Formats: sequence, C-alpha cells, structure tokens
Amino acid sequence: MSEELKPVSVGQSVPDFELTTYDPVAHDFSKFSLAEAKKAGKWTILFFYPADFTFV
Amino acid sequence: MGAELVTVSTDTEFVHLAWKRDEKELADVTYKMGADPTGAVSKLFGVYDPASGLALRGSFIIAPDGTLFNSEVNFYNMGRNIDELMRKFKANLYLTRKADEGCPSKWKDDGDATLRPGPEMVGRVHEALNK
Repeated sequence: MSEELKPVSVGQSVPDFELTTYDPVAHDFSKFSLAEAKKAGKWTILFFYPADFTFV
Repeated sequence: MGAELVTVSTDTEFVHLAWKRDEKELADVTYKMGADPTGAVSKLFGVYDPASGLALRGSFIIAPDGTLFNSEVNFYNMGRNIDELMRKFKANLYLTRKADEGCPSKWKDDGDATLRPGPEMVGRVHEALNK
C-alpha cells in the first residue's frame, strides 16, 4: 500500500487505502478498503479519534 | 443511509474489540472500527500527531468516486457534533442530485431552502457548510 507524503485536501482524489477493522456486528476482525467502497458506489465517512477508552 | 462509516484510531483492532466489549456507551455500535497503529492512514488525512502518536479528532466524507468532500479536524478535548456530520452527509447526497444548487449554512435536510450559486459562490461552499 503506497500513501501520499502530503495529506489529501478536500476536492482531491483520495488514494485507495485499507484498514484492518474490528466488526462489532460479525464479532470479528475484517478489513475496510476504499477501493471496495468505491466499487460499491458508497460514500465513506471516516471518523478519527485519539484513543479507545478515553472520553468525549 | 448508504454510507460506509468507519471509525479510526491508532489503537490495534484488539483494543477496539476490548473497548466495544467493556464500554456500554458503545452497545449500539454497528460500524467498523479501524485500526491504524502505524499512523499511515491518519497521516494520509493529515490528522496524525507525531508528539503523541495519536490521531486528532478528524471527520472526512469521501464520495463514491474517491473525491474528498468534507473535512473537519478538532484538537483533543472537543467532541464533534454527530448531527453536524449527518447534516453534511445529507447535504452531499442532496447536491449530487441537484448539482446547480447550494446548501446554505442553515440547511438541515431535504426540503430546506437552497441557493442557486452564481460566480461569486464558486469556491465558497466549504465555508458555508462549516459556519
């Protein structure tokens, strides 16, 4: 997986990436792939936060 | 609503599993919890904080063609308003159907008043959505 050195800006095309995920519905580990979401015609909402077991 | 919601932190997927199991606030969570321990994806979106190795509170909306449509980043101790994120997402959906209109700052949902942008509106949608 290659990534840009400069962060993506609004209006730019986000390069495809993958993330290992925990899927609470399947109770299993899984992967999120932007390429797959795009193929399925879906919007993606990414919600970053500092750390689990914290507040807010 | 037809979107893939993924939360991301630099915790591993194992911590996500444990947190989901422990924290009752997360009981209704159905979205995938992404693990970014190397910070690669956080860096891609410019939210990686090298001082702490953690991700800042950033929300990003990506269109089905891969274009980054929305970005909001806050510093640590301020939570984001999920209603606002949903408002943005609904506005995105609305605007993909009505490409010649603009959703002004008080727009909340289908049926609210919109604008028909002229040349002076070009490039100002981001500010209007983030007022």
